[in-house]
Amino acid sequence: MALQACRSLIALAPTALLSLYPLPALAQTTASREPIKLGAVISATGAIAGVGLPEREGILLAQKTLNARGGVNGQPIEILIEDDASSPDVAVSKVNALVHSHKVKALIGTSGIAQTVAVGGITAPLKLTQIAFSGLGPAVERERTCVFHITPSQELNARALLSYVRDMKASKVGVLHDSGYGQVVWNSMKDLAGEFGVTWSQVEKFEIAATDLTTQAAKVRASAPEAVIVISTSPMPFRNARQVRLTAPIISVHGTATYDYVKAMGDAADNIIHAEFLIAEDPLPHQREFVDLFQKEHGRLPKHFEAAGWDAVMSLAQALKTAGPDAANEALCSAMRRPYQGVMAKFDFSAPDMGGLTLASFNYSKLVKGKFTRLDYSAAK
Amino acid sequence: MSASLVMQAILSGITNGFVYALIGIGLAVIFKGTQIINAMQGEFAVIGAMVTVFALEPAGLPYGLSILLGVISGAAAGVIIDRLFVQPMMRQRAGEESFLLLTIGLAVTLSAAVLYLAGRNSYLLPSWGEEGVIEILDAFLQIQALWLIGTAIIVVVGLRLFYGRTLLGLSMMAASMDPDGAATNGINVRRMRSLTFLLGGTIGAIAGILVAPLVAVNYHMGIALTLKGFAAAILGGLSNPLGAVLGGVTLGLLESLAVVGFPSGYKDVIALAMMIVIMIVMPNGLLGRVGRIGG
Amino acid sequence: MNKLRRSLLLLLLVLAWALAPLLLSRHLIDLFVFAGLFTIGGLGVGLLLGQCGIVNLAQALFYGIGAYSSAYVTVQLGLPSLTGFLAGMLASALIAIAVGWPVLRLTGFFLALATLALSLIGNVLFFEWDWLTGGTLGIGGIPKLSIFGFAFDTPERVYYLVWPIAILVLLLADNLVRGRPGLAMRAMRDAAPAAEVLGVDMHRLKTAMFVICAMLGSLAGSLFAHYVSYISVQSFTVERSIAFLLIPVVAGSASVWGIIAGALFVTFIPELLSGFGDIHQVLFGLALVLVVTLLPDGLIGGADRLAQLLKRRMA
Repeated sequence: MALQACRSLIALAPTALLSLYPLPALAQTTASREPIKLGAVISATGAIAGVGLPEREGILLAQKTLNARGGVNGQPIEILIEDDASSPDVAVSKVNALVHSHKVKALIGTSGIAQTVAVGGITAPLKLTQIAFSGLGPAVERERTCVFHITPSQELNARALLSYVRDMKASKVGVLHDSGYGQVVWNSMKDLAGEFGVTWSQVEKFEIAATDLTTQAAKVRASAPEAVIVISTSPMPFRNARQVRLTAPIISVHGTATYDYVKAMGDAADNIIHAEFLIAEDPLPHQREFVDLFQKEHGRLPKHFEAAGWDAVMSLAQALKTAGPDAANEALCSAMRRPYQGVMAKFDFSAPDMGGLTLASFNYSKLVKGKFTRLDYSAAK
Repeated sequence: MSASLVMQAILSGITNGFVYALIGIGLAVIFKGTQIINAMQGEFAVIGAMVTVFALEPAGLPYGLSILLGVISGAAAGVIIDRLFVQPMMRQRAGEESFLLLTIGLAVTLSAAVLYLAGRNSYLLPSWGEEGVIEILDAFLQIQALWLIGTAIIVVVGLRLFYGRTLLGLSMMAASMDPDGAATNGINVRRMRSLTFLLGGTIGAIAGILVAPLVAVNYHMGIALTLKGFAAAILGGLSNPLGAVLGGVTLGLLESLAVVGFPSGYKDVIALAMMIVIMIVMPNGLLGRVGRIGG
Repeated sequence: MNKLRRSLLLLLLVLAWALAPLLLSRHLIDLFVFAGLFTIGGLGVGLLLGQCGIVNLAQALFYGIGAYSSAYVTVQLGLPSLTGFLAGMLASALIAIAVGWPVLRLTGFFLALATLALSLIGNVLFFEWDWLTGGTLGIGGIPKLSIFGFAFDTPERVYYLVWPIAILVLLLADNLVRGRPGLAMRAMRDAAPAAEVLGVDMHRLKTAMFVICAMLGSLAGSLFAHYVSYISVQSFTVERSIAFLLIPVVAGSASVWGIIAGALFVTFIPELLSGFGDIHQVLFGLALVLVVTLLPDGLIGGADRLAQLLKRRMA
């Protein structure tokens, strides 16, 4: 028995030895002074890589730009970026390493609600500033006053959609949503029907990985809706809806407002309205600089996920400038808790939801034959 | 629940069913030829579709040529898998579960490789011939779906003739059922196995290329396709390509009609549970003993 | 190896294990805790694979049941954590019997596929039944384990809790395997007709082992829930089931103590590989394929062969 145990360990010895020397992840520095170490965990692989990869691009561009402009009061920043492979367990592991081994001053990430809540369990007790790419989730997050949220909560997303529906004078609404993220938004949305004067003509749910939703789309069409709300992380509901000649306008959450989705929707990318943030073809004045920089760096236009990555870094840099690079965790966290004009939106990190986004933060776009066009509509009412 | 809704369910069920069937046919072919369950059959489809996509767009080749390249890459992938991994393991007389784990490992590797090389996006291929739909009883069927169904039928008929009539086909079956006996008759068993994987890879790639105009293909899809294909193949008796078609269509229809009747979040649960029940109650698939021997 | 040398080696091992948390970084201790949890869960799958020749791809389901039971019982019902453990293991056992009895009549690929289907069904239900599991939002605020007021709230403390439990179940399993049940299982695996003639009730044996596997998975899941304090559906996917299956495969399926090596592989190799950037998942898949292809008896088998080779060289 001892022999067998020995053999196990002999077989693993090289592995164990190597694991004592964790390999450093991607990092960049330009200047000569001691850099300020920050951590970032996003999902570069796995199910939500579609969101994590653009966030990373935004983060890297911000780091590069910031350091080229002299960093934080002359000190460069160094962001150690890790991939959590879309898994909360891996995210926890990576954050443990960043926080306890690399002693980062703050954490940017994660890309998904589950991961954010999981790693919040590490950062919150330490009052370590965390800037998350997910909206405010379960109740426990309300107490985590140093975990900031750059994307809207599900309820705010729901209200943004319903505002538009109400103002376009539609009252019969069909809904197609998936069983993951879509279910969460739907849970916030279903009770708001009365407030916005809509009735649900037909609500259909589908699995996240479903590749064909024609039947569900047909059921929605059969209820003759005046507008259809689609909440999905897949392009399929849009395609299937149009295939069954569901011609009502489709209104959707910002998650599907990216060029990749547009391509995957094919010719269904028409007459789709998104409550989103950055319409790079027609940016707001304060967004222009970022759009130009990104286009120069990557040769294509950015959307809000890239902008979110940028905003996370830049807002953190601002807080570091205020509190000083050697500030204690609480001091940095306090310095974060104020209004911040980002590229993606105007934030107020001192708000009770640690993000401060409101209905007025949304920019509405309409997909017309595969191109995003700005809608002259604002939901602030 | 109107007639048009049921009709829509039937049409989409048949379309999906044939997609599952094509994957299932590939699985059946490989099982028939090597007694191995190929957990990466869906990846062949993804490879075929992705190569076609990239031949078409960044490389700018004509559609027909791109499709040919896609099919060839599927075939090549099959042969490489066989030569690099399966043959050495066969020599070591590895057990059933080792092969299953090998193909699972390969499926995971390939899916990650597609993400790494092709990125996270979903890709659509242009339709063959005209875009558009046919309308039947106020329900819609994509014209691309007809191409898919037609090709699947051709593949099944072709395989039937191949295994039943040609010397090569008969040799491949012999090499699988009784390798030693086949070897004494001068059949190169190893080459037959490689050919089986070549055939399986080709069929898988064809499936992917046919599906990509209907459903945007991404790095994630392989495993989901494989599972549905499994279910189709098992319903059909596992080594019978025609059975896989029947199994696939049955599965597709079951799923769609379940959505009409039940809350749609449970669609997969219903399909999978049915599959388990059928495996237990009808071990030779829907076609009975004919299914398992099959051809 | 003579008795003295063996005991000395064992003593060294125990010392190394005991001192590790004092020498290693918190991040590594965290990984070792996970390795411990996976040892417990992987042991169940290993017993089915190594002794019964059954490929079980449903372990994530029972891991999830254990985790959600502990979470629900302590957070929603406010009961002590032991209740959660017991509830989880009971639920897992019942489900294992209910599902296992019919499904275990299948063999080979079909059984493997059925267990995979179970894992998927479980995943969907975890999503759908969000009144029980919190769905995508999960369940948070799971209290840390505490025994008589001593709270296991740091990775070091949980390390000292999880590994003794793992060693305990390994000892029990070893006992089982060396005893009559083990003989019966191997007879069933290697020469089924003979076993039947000798009166081995194969179906009952298989079901019993499936239940044991499920309960081990549940135990690991409950410990997991209390360790991470927040669980969500994303932790209980088919990938997790595959990871549990990898453990005995990599270790060398028939070895009980080798499960430790398998668990260490599955926990540390992805960590090592992540230093290579986005290609790390590809490399992990390749590493797995290489182990399966080149080392049919797993790492333990490979170490064995190496030892024999060295012995021969030295003789």
